[in-house]
Amino acid sequence: MSKIIEIKKLRKVYGDGVELVALDDVDLTIEEGEVLSIVGPSGSGKSTLLNMIGLLDTPSNGEIWLKGQNISKASSKERARLRNKELGFIFQYHHLLPEFSAVENVMMPLLIAGVEKKEARHRAITLLEEVGLGDQLNNKPNQLSGGQNQRVAVARALAGHPSIVIGDEPTGNLDSKSSDMIYELLRKLNREMNQTFILVTHDMDMAEKTDRILRLVDGKIVCEMLRDGDKFVTRDLCKLDK
Amino acid sequence: MFELTVAERHILGNPKMALFTVLSVALAVGVIVVLIGLTEGYKVNLIENTVENSPHVTVEPKEEEDYIYLYRTLTSIVDVYPEVLTASPRLIGRAAAKYKDNVEGVTFIGADPVQEDLLLRVREDIVWGDYYDLRFKRYAAVVGSDLADDLELKPGDDFRLTRQYVTIQVKAVGIIETGTGLDQTLVYLPLETAQDLLGEGDVVSEVGIRLSDIYAAPAIASDLNNKTRYNAESWQDKSRDILEQLDTQQIYSYIFYLLIFIISGFGIANTMIMIITRRTKEIGILMAMGADQAAIMKIFVLESLILGPPSVLLGGGLAYVAGKLIGNIEVPAEIYIANRMTVVLNLETFLFVSVFALLVNFLAGIYPAYKASRLDPVEAIATE
Repeated sequence: MSKIIEIKKLRKVYGDGVELVALDDVDLTIEEGEVLSIVGPSGSGKSTLLNMIGLLDTPSNGEIWLKGQNISKASSKERARLRNKELGFIFQYHHLLPEFSAVENVMMPLLIAGVEKKEARHRAITLLEEVGLGDQLNNKPNQLSGGQNQRVAVARALAGHPSIVIGDEPTGNLDSKSSDMIYELLRKLNREMNQTFILVTHDMDMAEKTDRILRLVDGKIVCEMLRDGDKFVTRDLCKLDK
Repeated sequence: MFELTVAERHILGNPKMALFTVLSVALAVGVIVVLIGLTEGYKVNLIENTVENSPHVTVEPKEEEDYIYLYRTLTSIVDVYPEVLTASPRLIGRAAAKYKDNVEGVTFIGADPVQEDLLLRVREDIVWGDYYDLRFKRYAAVVGSDLADDLELKPGDDFRLTRQYVTIQVKAVGIIETGTGLDQTLVYLPLETAQDLLGEGDVVSEVGIRLSDIYAAPAIASDLNNKTRYNAESWQDKSRDILEQLDTQQIYSYIFYLLIFIISGFGIANTMIMIITRRTKEIGILMAMGADQAAIMKIFVLESLILGPPSVLLGGGLAYVAGKLIGNIEVPAEIYIANRMTVVLNLETFLFVSVFALLVNFLAGIYPAYKASRLDPVEAIATE
């Protein structure tokens, strides 16, 4: 496995007067094809870390390397390009565009990339069939259930063949049945396409199904657990008392 | 081009807001086209009025003289020009009209009825009696309708005209209604009668000329100035002041139009800002999917551009309907130069206003679009 993301001394500070340290010198390496979960209490910096990796936010200090390219200081245009080519996002709420049908929503990242409409449509239909929505192509988000919308969102995140898929509580708003379905879907895609998944979650059941769990508290990684067969082993940096 | 698709959906997804934006621009375009049309119409009416109700060329005595003595010679010189339809020697002066106890100041025009009718189509405005009676009755007069009312003069009544020490008695054989302010002061007399009133002998104060081609007037006027010792003036020269005044007024009007456009521009900007505020989350999502700042800006600039053409077309339609309606309203001729307002709606004005409206539309869309493109994606996505 090769490194897909390398984070060095990443720091994010919010506010001008009263400073709030959201990320405090975080070091992290993510391997290609890994399914990683990030857990931790609210305000621990999980989403901030995810937004940094997702190139939606810029660090105050430190470096982020994506596929060997230092992207911490990339221009906004370059970051937009990388978001489109390398990253796929799944949000807690599906965040689909309300005026567009399922298939059009999935086409959107491809259209942004400049892919031909016909080709984009073909790819979108294939993906929607894969997530089990082949019969709902032309329905708009308000005509689909929460679980169905989230599956459309998954299809959309995967549309541009991203190397990394980022999920911010991707099942946080779903019942356990839909939630399991989404996770199984992600896992299947991970096996088939060797995509890297980084998931922020509150759901420990789901976290325990991933390859590696990171626990973030007050902007620091306080615990890292690695899968070993059916169990997890903690690394030495794990301070569970915190 | 996904930007266009998104822009289209935004508009179709919120037709009410789109409608209000379209209406605000359409109203601005409509109002301005109608206002320009009214000004143009006034100009056209003024010219028509001038051309119809005054001689195309007027020959007057030289500055140091009060009257033209050799007017018959002058008329024969004028008649040589092929464009000349008629040349009418006219004696114009002021007098007091008295009937019973009523006295009014009047302007009398003494002329040969046939020639004067050719010059100004006097008989078309006669509402009672016959102007040609003045050919045979020496002490007869045709009186302006309002003047007759003011004097309480009835058709067929005798009244008196006094100028300095001369008083003559004339019979009102006709009533004239020109639809202009002249109706309050005008008295037509036979030329000889006017000459009697004036007491200066066989003179006229001007020779009025009507032409077959009104645009030949300046050339003929200048030719007459070279050939004769009189002062010839075309209708264009006579109304120059008022036409220039109209042009000056036009400048103020354009400032006013600009203000209307600025107001409608703010309306558009306001709507666009509202749309963008409602779409903040979506903007964040599009950014997460890889839309860069230029693309976001393009989406919202396109939105205001898409709304432009239907707005100006609707504005044009509104202007057309309003123009027709205004054209049907009767107005008193005393306060306007004709008894119907004319709205001149030409394509050129509409295109000019439309281009300007589209420009304002575009400019008003730029700032909100720019603000949208600078949104922080993280904050935008977090917006509820």
